[in-house]
Amino acid sequence: MIRRYAALIRNAWLVDLQYRASIVLWLLWGVTEPAIALGIWWAIAGEGQIAGYARADFARYFFAVMLINQLTIAWDSWYLDRWIRDGDLNYRLARPLHPAHEAVAENLAYKARTASVILVVWLLVAVVWPAVRLPLAPGRWAITAVAVLLAAAMRFFISFTTGLLAFWTTRATAIMELHAGVSLFLAGRIAPLALLPPAVAGVAGALWFRSMLAFPVDLLTGAVHGTDAIVRGLVGQLVWLAVWIGAYRLAWTRGLRKYGAVGG
Amino acid sequence: MPSIVAAEQLSKTFQVKVRDPGLQGALRALFRPRYRDVHAVRDVTFRIDPGEIVAFLGPNGAGKTTTLKMLAGLLYPTSGRVEAAGFNPWTGGPPFKRRIALVLGNRQQLVWDLPPEETFLLNRAIYDIAEGDYRERLAELVTLLELGDVLQKPVRQLSLGERMKCELVASLLHRPPLLFLDEPTLGLDVTAQDAIRRFLTEYRDRHGATVLLTSHYMQDVTALASRVLMINRGRLLYDGALEALVARIARTKRIELVLGARGGGGGDGNRVTAEALAAFGAVKSFRFPNAVLEVRREDAPATSARLLAAFSVADLSIEDPPIEEVIRLAFARGVEEEE
Repeated sequence: MIRRYAALIRNAWLVDLQYRASIVLWLLWGVTEPAIALGIWWAIAGEGQIAGYARADFARYFFAVMLINQLTIAWDSWYLDRWIRDGDLNYRLARPLHPAHEAVAENLAYKARTASVILVVWLLVAVVWPAVRLPLAPGRWAITAVAVLLAAAMRFFISFTTGLLAFWTTRATAIMELHAGVSLFLAGRIAPLALLPPAVAGVAGALWFRSMLAFPVDLLTGAVHGTDAIVRGLVGQLVWLAVWIGAYRLAWTRGLRKYGAVGG
Repeated sequence: MPSIVAAEQLSKTFQVKVRDPGLQGALRALFRPRYRDVHAVRDVTFRIDPGEIVAFLGPNGAGKTTTLKMLAGLLYPTSGRVEAAGFNPWTGGPPFKRRIALVLGNRQQLVWDLPPEETFLLNRAIYDIAEGDYRERLAELVTLLELGDVLQKPVRQLSLGERMKCELVASLLHRPPLLFLDEPTLGLDVTAQDAIRRFLTEYRDRHGATVLLTSHYMQDVTALASRVLMINRGRLLYDGALEALVARIARTKRIELVLGARGGGGGDGNRVTAEALAAFGAVKSFRFPNAVLEVRREDAPATSARLLAAFSVADLSIEDPPIEEVIRLAFARGVEEEE
């Protein structure tokens, strides 16, 4: 299986190298949104604090968002939707390799290249701008790595499962867009959850949105502290990951039976 | 010899949403969708032996590709039973998939932006092909398909024919005993079509592979298939040799004549007239010195003898009517009623 993943990732990178401009565009896209959010909160915060967040806290928060969003984001619903509707799923189903493996490999390839660039940018900025420096805390970083892994797995299954809806509807990507729109607020992309009205933040925590991004970000910046809060966050991630894996399995087996295999 | 493919009472029914035209229809479909059953394949039964090349014949939408996709495990049958390469395609999983190849004329697995060799290497990893086997098989396929220098060019720069050849390479590196080919020569020029047909026959002879294909080109069928499965509106109309189908459907044969410089025989000495030929059979075309007559199958030998006696003939051949015409007749009239 390692050899297969190596071959899949190699091909993904080879294709990327054909489109150097698009790599830059994706990176700009990944950087722009948190940069704008940071700019706004920077201005609003002034010399004071909002819900405990001063300027430097916002800076650390959005640099963490920039990095962790790239590490956990999944585009699979767009690919799946196209595979199913154009019939490109056909030859993938005829191979002795579950199509999800190709999707996971694509994710690893994408994440490795964008996240590594963002990490380098963060390090360089940290040299000249002390506000975005993180305290040295290897233990916290290790727990964050686990939370990032869980978030990435969950977002993968959310995206993959939503893409599978293309077996039934032609609007699968619209559903994913809607989810992305909601997560802009509920996952903490536009503001730390602590700044949202408590009811809204409660919804984000009860559903899977906090586990997607805000929780690992808060872990990294130190906003989540205490063993209790950390364990509760990780358990929440595990529960929602299990739910989405269940949803994926249901959609996959039901969807294949429903499949029209396009053409002929 | 056990069959490599067996289908029993195989059926596939799709549910298709029906919508009345116009905005009102769209609104009604939104709130109260109606569905109609489309019976793409109905109670199809057949067996295929190892090493056979079998073609599915039928007009667009007849159910050929649907049948092929059920055999390959892409589509779930509504009812009936399938066994292919020793597996139920639906539950066979990776062991089944290692024993088949699926080539779709209108879809490609080659990575568009990379040279074909990168897709081959990917498949080497996916199918766990040992390095030595990979090199040996690649060399064989490249030679048989005359692919020489295209392996390093990006796929997007290849011609359609080169692409289809590379698709075949990618699909056959794991040397599957059972090949499903859906329109493998679609859109190719005559030379490329011919190359692919020669390759498929050669490949079958070398490795004893079984080939099931669908095609719109009768040439594919006549050149490749020892047996045809004729499908129309989801039903199997005929299963057997192509020649036997022609014999059953076509009650006539064609006698093609090239008349000698001196026509001889009837009429005014050395001009043969259409009227004179009409005494022997239906004149399909006549332009001195070429003539085509249509006669009843069983009369063909006797009529030929009489023609040779009556005229000075440079050449004479007895042919079946063009296969396209036979097939058209078969679909128009059905096969059974000819018996």
